[in-house]
Amino acid sequence: MLNILCVCGNGMGTSTILKINVKNICQQNKIEANVESCSFGEAMAYINNTDIVLTSPEWAGMLPPSNAVIAETKNLIDTKQVTDTLVNAIKEHFPNEIGA
Amino acid sequence: MLNYFLDLFLKQIFGQPFILMAVIVFVGYIAMKQKFSKALGGAVKASIGILIMGFGSGGLITNFNKLLVSVQTVTGMQGAGLNTYPTMTAGYEKMDAILGAGTGASWGIYTLLVAFILNLVLVALKKYTKIRAVFLTGNVMIVQAGVSTYIVWRFLGLGMIPTVIIAAVITALYWGISSTLLIKPTKEVTNADFTVAHQQMLGSYIAYKIAPKLGNAEKDDIEKKKLPDSLNILQDNIIATALVMFISVVAIFFLIGGEQIDWLRSAEGFNQGGLKNTVIFLLWITLTLTANIVVLLSGVRMFVGELMVSFKGISDKLLPGAVAGVDCAAIFAFAPKSVVLGLLFGMLGQVLALSGLIIFKSPIFIVPGFIPLFFDNATMAVYANKRGGWKAAAVICTLSGIIQIFGAVLAVKMMELTWWQGSFDYSTLWVVIIAILKAIGAALGIPIAG
Repeated sequence: MLNILCVCGNGMGTSTILKINVKNICQQNKIEANVESCSFGEAMAYINNTDIVLTSPEWAGMLPPSNAVIAETKNLIDTKQVTDTLVNAIKEHFPNEIGA
Repeated sequence: MLNYFLDLFLKQIFGQPFILMAVIVFVGYIAMKQKFSKALGGAVKASIGILIMGFGSGGLITNFNKLLVSVQTVTGMQGAGLNTYPTMTAGYEKMDAILGAGTGASWGIYTLLVAFILNLVLVALKKYTKIRAVFLTGNVMIVQAGVSTYIVWRFLGLGMIPTVIIAAVITALYWGISSTLLIKPTKEVTNADFTVAHQQMLGSYIAYKIAPKLGNAEKDDIEKKKLPDSLNILQDNIIATALVMFISVVAIFFLIGGEQIDWLRSAEGFNQGGLKNTVIFLLWITLTLTANIVVLLSGVRMFVGELMVSFKGISDKLLPGAVAGVDCAAIFAFAPKSVVLGLLFGMLGQVLALSGLIIFKSPIFIVPGFIPLFFDNATMAVYANKRGGWKAAAVICTLSGIIQIFGAVLAVKMMELTWWQGSFDYSTLWVVIIAILKAIGAALGIPIAG
């Protein structure tokens, strides 16, 4: 089970859409995951229990230090880009989590 | 017997926002063929979110009012803060005071649903309406639907069904038209097919249109220049909210003086007699108000997250070709330096305008807020920089900051709320809409409802 955190500026709009999309992507790719969303200012509260942070390069640089894998893509609304970024990050760092 | 069931359904179930929101989310999940347990979980979370929002907004409005009262005692000025969510809840409070607890939010949620359906219908009829964008930003939609409901009720004094229908029509037209305007500009900035569905689309469209006349995008593109990284901290929503609040409370403390500060400390005020040091007390007020806002936001996030699952599912199913209207922050990653630039010059404009209010002895003063200051000016700066470089963006955002404050004064004067949206569109277009509804109400001899 992976913990995925979707981060944007205010933690309201973009990261919520992203969370919905990531849940679908995980279902389609048979990845078991808890998906949460927040603003980068609040990420500190979640990041220690997070395996993968999904965000754009703008916010990635401002995240608090952690062991989480940071997966970045510029357009968080583009489902295809997000799918590629997320699946690649999981394949690279958590190969056991991706379903057959 | 019949009365018992009417009361149960209309007042206890469909008149209580924490139940109503749960029902909507539950139905949305089931309609999307999700499991029963998931639907129930989503419904409970949405319900808790509504209650958390209430805690945050209740604390915020009560605490903020104490500051406003002390300013009014000293200067006679009527005050209002700029922030979107408390504007909605302040309107609901006024409706609840006359119509009964929970009425405002329930009517607001009905307006939201009807406006969303109308938005889908307008897009389905795009051949005739030219409207192609569906608003999917639940956090913005619930506020705008709520504020529209309050405006219509206040000036036209109608019952639930006509109020909801009129408010929904105005809101859906605003959503559809304004976000459709930005489809092409957003494509130019991001090279992707979505649009902004927020609260400054008219402002962004104007910025997009006039920027080429004010500067040179080739020569002055700020995205190709270097900016100090330390400026990025200003984009942290919690830190920046606290900072703007801090500056405002300092200004208020200087305005009201020692006697009123003692009153604020007393049991009638914040009941913080222990905080004898004025600087510590000032920090306590600043951070308490910020904490109220953070609680409010986390409540909104809980139910909006669940609501957006339904909205997005319905829209994808019914109108697969529609352009998704999303939060303005989605474009920020494409132009991060413009975002900081917009914030700085928007702030300059707002400070100029606030000084103007004091110099010209305005009867209303405004406490600025991070949401309208940052999101509006950052978004407008992205479009302006793309088309006219940083000089154009600087001029446009300074003007926008000034317009935001003066427009908000006009809106507060007509609405008599202690909070206002403060965003560009709500300081321009919506001021006109309010004035028109007010004039219609007055022409028909309808008394102001509350």
